[in-house]
Formats: sequence, structure tokens, C-alpha cells
Amino acid sequence: MVSSDTQVENNLSQESGLAIINSKAPFSSDFGKDALDVALIFGSFEQKVSLFFQGDGVYQLIGHQDGTLVSIKDYLKTFSAFEFYDIEDIYVCQQSLVNRQLDESFHIDNVNVLASLEFGLAINRHQHVLRF
Amino acid sequence: MSTLHLVRKSAFTTNDFAQCLSVLDQQDSVVLMDDGCYNLKHPLMDSLIKRSESTISINVISNHAKARAIETLAAIQHIEMNDVVELTFTHNKVITWQ
Repeated sequence: MVSSDTQVENNLSQESGLAIINSKAPFSSDFGKDALDVALIFGSFEQKVSLFFQGDGVYQLIGHQDGTLVSIKDYLKTFSAFEFYDIEDIYVCQQSLVNRQLDESFHIDNVNVLASLEFGLAINRHQHVLRF
Repeated sequence: MSTLHLVRKSAFTTNDFAQCLSVLDQQDSVVLMDDGCYNLKHPLMDSLIKRSESTISINVISNHAKARAIETLAAIQHIEMNDVVELTFTHNKVITWQ
């Protein structure tokens, strides 16, 4: 018989790393760039980081974008550096894609598209969450 | 009296576009700019296009849509930023939805 305290402790110990939720479109605010900076900083200190894209945040992953057309330095290109920073867990909310009539073609590889329930579970596996 | 509506926000995040459509009049014009370009793929757009068989002109800043890799629709006119300046002169009022 395991006491409830021990169970809570066990659950907590299974949660690890940082989840970063991206919820904003790429070019009209600095949120996407700030989230990227945080992810790369954690990555360079060998901290476990996972990236989540939800709502208008999914637009950050769509291919053939060009920020230079609206005079913005295209930070989206830096996404291809994720593997050098050992950022390998990248999740996208499927419902957000469907609502926006977007298909599952992204400008980086190894992106996991998850249904709402699994998306939520994946976030809950992390010890800390930051939302941008 | 005609009004120029500048739509700058995504209808997937805010209800600015819905509010714009609710006050839209027959002789008005709509310009989608910045994140407003995402509204091209929003269900509200279909209702606007059906309505605009009448006289409402719908425009999008082509560079803003292209930067975001959004396909535009045939029913919508592609304009540049300096065309917006022209439009401000040909309409009585301007409302920015942001």
C-alpha cells in the first residue's frame, strides 16, 4: 500500500524539463523571438527543453515564410538549429492546424502533431511551463 | 458616407474581425494587413465574400500575405501600402481594428 504522499512525490519526479508554449503569430510581436531565445539558452546549458505550438503559434512552423518582406529579421530560420541544441521534442496542436486550414508541412523536420488530449498530456509531463 | 476598415489582427485570436464585419456597410472597403492576413483562411471570410457580391471591396497588402506564406483568394484585390494612402482619401472615415 503506497501512501498518497508518496504517490504525489512519484508523479512529481516523473515530471522533468521545461515546456515552452508558443501561442502567437510570428511577425507582429516579439513573443516568438523571445521564446526562441529562451529555448536556445536552456539548450546551451544542456537543460531539457520541449517546444509546443498552439493557436496562432502554429504559424511559426509554416514553410515558405519571408519576414524580410515586412522588414523583420527572419528568426524562424534559426529553428533549424534546434538539433544542435539537443531540442528534439517539438509538438504541434492538430486542432489549431485544422482550424487554420494548414497542412502538416513544416519548415523544420521531426515535428510531432498531437491531438488536443495528447498535447495536454505532453505539456503535463514537464516540471516547468512558460507560455509566450 | 463610406468607411475604410483596416484589419490588423487574426480572427483566430481576437474577435476584432467579427466586430468589423458587424458594422460593415455596403459602400465600405476592407484592407487586411499584418496578422489580419490570416483572416483569409477564417470561416468569417466566406461570409464576407458572399456579402461583397454587392459593393464592398476587399483588399489585402500583398507583401504582408506573402511574408506569412498565405495563399490569397481570387475575390480579393492585392494592393501595396501606398494604395492604402489613396484609399484613406477616397473614404470619409478610417477605422483600425487592432
